[in-house]
Amino acid sequence: MCGIAGRILSAPGPVGADLVKLMDAQEHRGADSTGFAVYGPPRETGYIVRAMGPDRGTLSGDLDAFHAILKAHGADFLEDPTWDSADTRHVSVRMVISDPEDLARWSVDADTMCDRLEIQSVGRSLEIIKDVGSSEMVADKHGVRDMIGTHGLGHARLATESSVAPTASHPFWARPFADVAIVHNGQITDYFTWRDKLERAAYRFMTENDSELIAVWVSDQMKKGLTQAQALKKSIGEIDGVFTFLIANTQSMGFAKDRFAMKPLVTVEAGGELAAATEEQAVRTIYPGEVDVVNYDGPSLTNTWFITEQRAAA
Amino acid sequence: MSDGIISETVITIADRPIREVHAEIQAAADAGQAIVLAEPRSRHNLGVALPAGARLRFEGSVGYYCGGLNNGATIEIERNAGWGLGEAMAAGDISVAGYAGMSCGASMLGGTIHVKGDAGPRCGVAMKGGDIIVEGKLGYLAGFMAHSGRIIALGGADEACADSLWGGEVWVAGPVKSLGVDSKLVDPDPEEVASIEALLAGRGLNDTARNWRKVVSAQRLWHFESRDASSWLMI
Repeated sequence: MCGIAGRILSAPGPVGADLVKLMDAQEHRGADSTGFAVYGPPRETGYIVRAMGPDRGTLSGDLDAFHAILKAHGADFLEDPTWDSADTRHVSVRMVISDPEDLARWSVDADTMCDRLEIQSVGRSLEIIKDVGSSEMVADKHGVRDMIGTHGLGHARLATESSVAPTASHPFWARPFADVAIVHNGQITDYFTWRDKLERAAYRFMTENDSELIAVWVSDQMKKGLTQAQALKKSIGEIDGVFTFLIANTQSMGFAKDRFAMKPLVTVEAGGELAAATEEQAVRTIYPGEVDVVNYDGPSLTNTWFITEQRAAA
Repeated sequence: MSDGIISETVITIADRPIREVHAEIQAAADAGQAIVLAEPRSRHNLGVALPAGARLRFEGSVGYYCGGLNNGATIEIERNAGWGLGEAMAAGDISVAGYAGMSCGASMLGGTIHVKGDAGPRCGVAMKGGDIIVEGKLGYLAGFMAHSGRIIALGGADEACADSLWGGEVWVAGPVKSLGVDSKLVDPDPEEVASIEALLAGRGLNDTARNWRKVVSAQRLWHFESRDASSWLMI
């Protein structure tokens, strides 16, 4: 089933707390895992890297190896990496790095050690935080409520097509496109066909999750010259399945919904801000009074919203 | 309430547990009170399986499955309704001041749903009786696989109207974007039109200038014939 959410603020603010509210209200749609993509005030240079390792015990050596690859690409840690202090075996790490000479080439090399430390997101602004468990559990463990930013995405997962694991949770980063993240509710039925085509074009996938594919598919279309809005429209005719997905970058957030119209999305736009969710009751946790809600119930729909105030508090 | 005889009780929903709200609604309905539901906040499964004679008014928007399994209650919603409004209802009357989401009146057996705004996709999907009146426009796939009953829309219909209709009728005043698989337009008898107009007049919807289109099943897909195979392939 899955539940998705999006939030845009008119100025940098407690977007993490809002996303947790939106996902708390949709926990019943899937509590296998929960994830968040938060866009903080963007850096001028350097990237924030979120990564996950399966074994906390080997983290020190894994970080050394990661660091060595980074240095080979002319970059370095700008801050000491930090990680969660939970008692789970898997560990989530946050790093801030200077710009590699070529981000895509560096990520190819960094992915050679993805069995030890798998990159979850890379961006000037984007940070993807995801884990198994409910919205509350993930938010508590990773301090999501304290995250400040202009916009973000949320996802509650009911796994249908691939395994339940921290790294198989949403949101997905569009490897290797900095700052692009996606959350998806649905199933892509021509997944293997598209994955094969994209792999032949040298894209890499870390999971068997169809949602990871959409993120790369849209980014690839944009690399070929389409705007996000055009790529979203095109996805409806090109990708087969039932889906409603939200995709974001530093400048905008958009959604596409398939022609069978089986996966809901509602939005509230008020005061230059946006709340989007699978269920109306979720957006009402942000806007408890009676507000104008747009129901995107029909088939073959897309929309794009732009982020205006991203640098205000940077 | 208009008759001024029965007393009115107010139940606030907000973020309270739905089970608790249900227990209060059922108790108030058993006591014969008219019920006002404050702050519904688009919550799901409100006012389900209510007995005949119960009277509810929601002071706002409701979420999924409001009025589902209704056995004869009168339910009024002051704003919008989410997916599955009045699903599988057997009797009663549900009215929505605004928009009704996907699958309004799904599998309903009897009673009336009155939507004053537009209806979302698959309005009356698999319905088996009763009437759905939509003052605005029907979303796509209206009446999808319906068996019986009537869907009556005053503001036109979107694509694939009456798709795969087995039985029942879809009445549309205004433009129909396209008909669905195995449905056809027929000329309605004056008596039938009069009965539809009388139903609408009972709800204050008087207009003698309507240009009705009546859509029924073409019945080609009632039994599989290999020559119809292309019609069975939806895509």
